[in-house]
Order: sequence, then C-alpha cells, then structure tokens
Amino acid sequence: MTKFAMLVLATLAIAACHDHPPLVALEAGPPLRLVAAPRVRINARLKPALELDDGTVLRFDSPRVTSDSAYFAAAPTVATPPSGSRHGTLRLSVCPAGERLCRLVVMAVAW
Amino acid sequence: MRTLSMGLLLAGVVAGTTAALRSAVPSVGGTPAPELTSTSWLNADRPLRLSELRGRVVLLNFWVFTCGNCTRTVPSLVAYDRHYRERGLTIIGIHTPEFPPYAGEHDKGNLARALARQGIAYPNAQDNDRRTWDAYGIRYWPSFVLIDKRGMIRYTGYGEFHLDDGDFRTWDQRIQQLLAE
Repeated sequence: MTKFAMLVLATLAIAACHDHPPLVALEAGPPLRLVAAPRVRINARLKPALELDDGTVLRFDSPRVTSDSAYFAAAPTVATPPSGSRHGTLRLSVCPAGERLCRLVVMAVAW
Repeated sequence: MRTLSMGLLLAGVVAGTTAALRSAVPSVGGTPAPELTSTSWLNADRPLRLSELRGRVVLLNFWVFTCGNCTRTVPSLVAYDRHYRERGLTIIGIHTPEFPPYAGEHDKGNLARALARQGIAYPNAQDNDRRTWDAYGIRYWPSFVLIDKRGMIRYTGYGEFHLDDGDFRTWDQRIQQLLAE
C-alpha cells in the first residue's frame, strides 16, 4: 500500500471519529487485532467479521472471554490471507459498559 | 504498512448515539403502532397482527439471541408474561439479527433453541429483513415498545434490566397502568 493510500485511510478514520469517541481500534498485524476502548466491550457471541471485497468472510476470535461468554476478555484477532484483498468491511457488535445495550458498528477498512 | 500498527479508529458508522440512553419516552395519547408484517413466527400457530390484538396491551421486545444485554433481560419478560398474560398482556419478541446470515442469527432452528434455553413461551417473530425494526425506528438491542389496548404506542425504551431493579419496576408500573385503562 502506498503512503498516499495510507494517508487517505487515516483521513477517513479521523473524519469518521469526529463526532464520536473511538470505540475500537484495528491494529494491523499480522494478525489483525481489534482493541476496544476503555469500558467498551466487544460481543463475543457474535464474533466480529471482516468481509473482504473478494467475498471472503473472516471472523475474529479470542480464547479469552468473560465468564458469561458474552464479551471478549482479550483482543480478538484474525489471520489474513497472505495475498489477495487487503480491504473490506468490518462488522462488530459493541456493548459499552454502562449503556446496557449492544450496537452494531460497520465500517470500511484497509490495512 | 504491514508492520505499521494503524490504530484505525472506528466510531463513525454506529447504529445510534449515546444521547438519552435507556430513557423510556412516554407519548401522551400515543402514536399508532406500525402493523407487524413478519411471516415467520415461533410460539404462535400463525402470524400475529396488532389489529387482531386490540383490547390487549402489547409489549414488543426487539432482541437477538447473540446479545448478552438482551438475554439477561429475558427473565424479566418471562416474569411479566407469567404474571400478566391472563390479565391482558401480550409480549411479542421481535428477533432482529445484527449480522448477515453467515452468523446464524437468521436461522429459525437456532432461534428455537434460544427460546427453549431461555424458557420463552411468548410469541416471537423473525425480523430477518429488519422491516419491523425499521418501521419502529429501533437502534439498539434490546429495545421495548409498549402499546395500549387501542394500538397506540405509549412508551418506548431500551437497555438491559433485571428482575426487581428500578427499570423492571418502572416497566411493571407502565404495564399495570395500560392494563387498567
């Protein structure tokens, strides 16, 4: 990926965050890693999905979940194919502590 | 780029905002409740329609079995059902998936197992196309819509609650109020 493309992605990310505090960060690996902001919980019963533009669906997972299996207790990760599409749609269910509800987050990502 | 930790922040495309969380909003006089259109039901021998439930109070619970906040609220709904069904309350679960079908939330067998696991005896509609979710303008799991005997929306709200906590008692009072009208 070129520096120009990186810049575009960073700009998009900042723009997306303008009105809301960040809920999670996607860290390029490998493997790709989803890091939740403090007090934000990622739904472990509905494993986050990375839908690649070529149609492949990758599911994030972690062996560590809360005792009720509802949330990840460690950042979920996913291994990406060594070649092929490096962008797609990230879909995850987040349940911020204190809100007592779950919301759907969908966003285009690249790495 | 491969070795760069991008820290790509995700926040923008969220199905909702954080404003006024969990506050049930009374609608004085109410607004007409959109008709239910789901064709796939569980715990019902045929599709239910609000027009056939006039004279009963109806509590819609928008939920999905993969949502912990939703499943932890189910014992309260089961309690309402046991206590008020004979007195005129109909609870209807509107099961709206979060993810596309590959996640299994659309599968009727999976939903049936979830109902059995949670001891849910009240009717549930599969809202796989989100038509009902959209018609009611729902944004969070779980959400609630309380409809009076005339088919008018009187209270809405969202967020997990538990047996005998403050929110449980608030919804209980609202149900009793509408049953008494």
